[in-house]
Amino acid sequence: MIVQTNTTVGDSISHRFKLTWKRFWSEPGFAVAAIIVAALLILFILLPLAAVLLRSFGIGGEGFSFQYYQQFLQHSSYFQALLNSIGVGVVTTAIVISISIPFALYVTRTKSTLSKMYRALSLLPMVAPPFIFSLSLIILLGRRGVVTEHINNLFGVEFSIYGFWGVVVAQVLGFFPIAYMMIESSLRSINPSLEHASRDLGAGQARTIFKVSLPLASTGILKASLIVFVMALADFSNPLIIGGETSFLASDAYLLVTGQQNLEMAAVLGVFLIIPSLIVFLYQTYFIKDIETTSIDSSAGTSNVPLNKKIQGVTFGISTLMALFIAVMFIMVVLGAFVQIIGVNNTFTLDHFSDPSGWEFISTSLIVSFFAALLASVLGLLQGYLTVRKNIPAKKFLEFVALFGLAVPGTVMGIGYVLIFNGPPLFLTGTVLLLVLNMTFRKIGVGLESGISKLHQIDTSMEEASADLGAKPLHTLRKIVLPLLSPAFMSGFVYTFMTAMVSVSSVIFLVSPGTNLAATYILNLANQAAVGRASAMSVIMIAIVLICMAVLKWIERRNNAGI
Amino acid sequence: MKFKLSGVLIGTALTLVACGEDDSVSIYTHNVEDEMQPMVSALEEETGVNADFLNLSSEEGFSRAEAEFPDVGAEIQWGQLHSLALLAQEEDMLGSYESPEWEDVPDEFKDPEGQWYGWSYWYNELAVNTDLVEDLGLDTPTSWEDLTDPQYEGEIVMPDPSVSGTGFLFVSTIMQMLGEEEAWDYFEALDQNVGQYVESADVPGQMAAQGEYAIGITWDQAVNDFIEEGYPIEGVVPDEGVGYDLDVIWIYEGYEEDENVQQVVDFVGSEAGMEAAAEHRSMVTKPGIEGTAGDAEPNLIDYDALWAADNRQDIQDEWDSRFNS
Repeated sequence: MIVQTNTTVGDSISHRFKLTWKRFWSEPGFAVAAIIVAALLILFILLPLAAVLLRSFGIGGEGFSFQYYQQFLQHSSYFQALLNSIGVGVVTTAIVISISIPFALYVTRTKSTLSKMYRALSLLPMVAPPFIFSLSLIILLGRRGVVTEHINNLFGVEFSIYGFWGVVVAQVLGFFPIAYMMIESSLRSINPSLEHASRDLGAGQARTIFKVSLPLASTGILKASLIVFVMALADFSNPLIIGGETSFLASDAYLLVTGQQNLEMAAVLGVFLIIPSLIVFLYQTYFIKDIETTSIDSSAGTSNVPLNKKIQGVTFGISTLMALFIAVMFIMVVLGAFVQIIGVNNTFTLDHFSDPSGWEFISTSLIVSFFAALLASVLGLLQGYLTVRKNIPAKKFLEFVALFGLAVPGTVMGIGYVLIFNGPPLFLTGTVLLLVLNMTFRKIGVGLESGISKLHQIDTSMEEASADLGAKPLHTLRKIVLPLLSPAFMSGFVYTFMTAMVSVSSVIFLVSPGTNLAATYILNLANQAAVGRASAMSVIMIAIVLICMAVLKWIERRNNAGI
Repeated sequence: MKFKLSGVLIGTALTLVACGEDDSVSIYTHNVEDEMQPMVSALEEETGVNADFLNLSSEEGFSRAEAEFPDVGAEIQWGQLHSLALLAQEEDMLGSYESPEWEDVPDEFKDPEGQWYGWSYWYNELAVNTDLVEDLGLDTPTSWEDLTDPQYEGEIVMPDPSVSGTGFLFVSTIMQMLGEEEAWDYFEALDQNVGQYVESADVPGQMAAQGEYAIGITWDQAVNDFIEEGYPIEGVVPDEGVGYDLDVIWIYEGYEEDENVQQVVDFVGSEAGMEAAAEHRSMVTKPGIEGTAGDAEPNLIDYDALWAADNRQDIQDEWDSRFNS
């Protein structure tokens, strides 16, 4: 009897399986593409993460045991590192968000040219290596920094930027642009008529902002907070430079790998880094209900009510302070690049720019970032297309993997790559290819996301029409879908390129003689206290990234005009 | 589309693999960029051999090579601690090559089997910021003992011996002078005065130079460089004497037959190579070539590199448990 039931169930499962399979193979071209994408995602995102998890239990090393977790809990410094990292994450997030909101209000609700300048300025830190501000901070606020002396004299204290607060300040600068961008776009997308309505009903502007605008933008604000929190938690380069004697998870994990080759303990730290990212990621992906304020109807021509004097004053004040701070930090980097030794010997020089290895690494970085951006956006879009338009099995799972790749701390991914690709059968250490793959699969989620959202906007009737008129699926894809997807491709490409140029946390484990990258080189210079050359390299990199982006924008605009 | 895409992918992959494999010799080094770049340029000029190098601190480079062995990502280690050469030798990580260029270098500076060659030696030194010492009303320290004086509280910066070779040389020198027990007492006392432990040996020099801290425990050339650049820095060789380390070059096992690799070893031992090195080193090992220190021999102790190699792990573990937690 039981046997019989089982066979029936078994039969129906196998029947269903056959059906799915048959449908899957009905378009072999797409089926093969889906299999390739799935295999790549598993190999370059899931396996490295699995390797970290297994290694934290000693598997692949000495053999299964809990001893490394025991050590983690007993060794007070590791546990303290966890607390410090979480603490920095919370404080940085709170500060970044409470600056971003007034800044975004000021920019979106005033029309002065100053606000446009502020907007441009606010995005600048994105194109610099994230840790470069630590150097400027040390110059200004170090134990004998230019500003420190005044603070000490004024307050009679021994002020030191090294440690927890130094990391916070550096992170606020580095992560502000991301949070700001997200909050700005959600504030912008609110239908102005809602605010008008609130005003017409007699609410003051402050009340309107707190009761209407901010609640409508709350999803965006929440998402921005979560992202900044994860980034701050996983940041490893600022703690390395300005963390002083305070320990943090990601930088400790890095030192454990490079200094002591203690991969097990590094893996444990990695697991503690992944857990919060995973929670945040799951929460953000599956629990936040998008109240998407898609009541947008900007064609109505209404614009937001300009801010009143008082609120404008407050937001202007905060924005100005932040903009000034960013500007000063940038000026410090530029000055540092052009003088002998900033703060000590301020004679002009171009010496720091004559650095043959630096130029070589910059060209490697360009090549690697270009190919990574190309691969990430092509594969991301392909996956997006398969997810939205084709009936492939396990697509939710694959989407999850690709997006999670974005959320995983770079340090953890780097350790995973060391574990997997440093031996047979996949010996890729020391190749440019490994660097490209690492960056590609950390960013593939961007192309995927923009692809999916774009495809949802494109009505399937266009494709159906094409099919009805006798076009083969591939033809439809090429002639109808791809042209429509090109903006999504561009945005994925630009974002990946830019972030790849400045990212260090995972590739630092993978560079080798001849395949060093500019960002890791700058970190190395900073560690060797070669401030002048670190600044010079950063200036070159900032310039290159800005030029590349300008070129891409130009191409994009030209293409759009053509379509 | 399918064909195009796979074509692009394969093309990309091939290009990248091709990029990764060129005919350059790849080098791990613990030397800083400033020093390594001119030496590598001199190598390329003299021999035509192209070289790529990656700077990793002593411990970082060693543990990385250890993990990668037998497929070490660099063919040569150019610049590393003597004690780590002995350790690597014990672990059979080194290839032997008898270079003719090294014949006149005294035997004490090279391995009889040609597994490692010492091209320069260097010692610990204090970088003292003269302006700051005056401002803060401190005495200029003259001995290791002085550094534990409470007046220096928070004013000393030193490299972490579990990452930095210079830091380790300092620690093992004190151990050899005082004996282990007393040395740990010394470091506990010193710890009271240390403001920061940093990762790399040049950083204490730089921090003292910039006036972040009054005293940096560092190495000779870092002090010379910062003096030369015009910082208010004075070098102090402590009275008790300093340990020194030979800086060595070796070929990793499996690469010793490669002609380009051999040429690198030859070059480092040649007149031209030693002269290039002498620009950046207090003392080089080739007779007749003077480093930047000139005749001024500091009081070097009879440093036992073998002992340092044997006790390295224990010392570092103990250090970590005392000061890194």
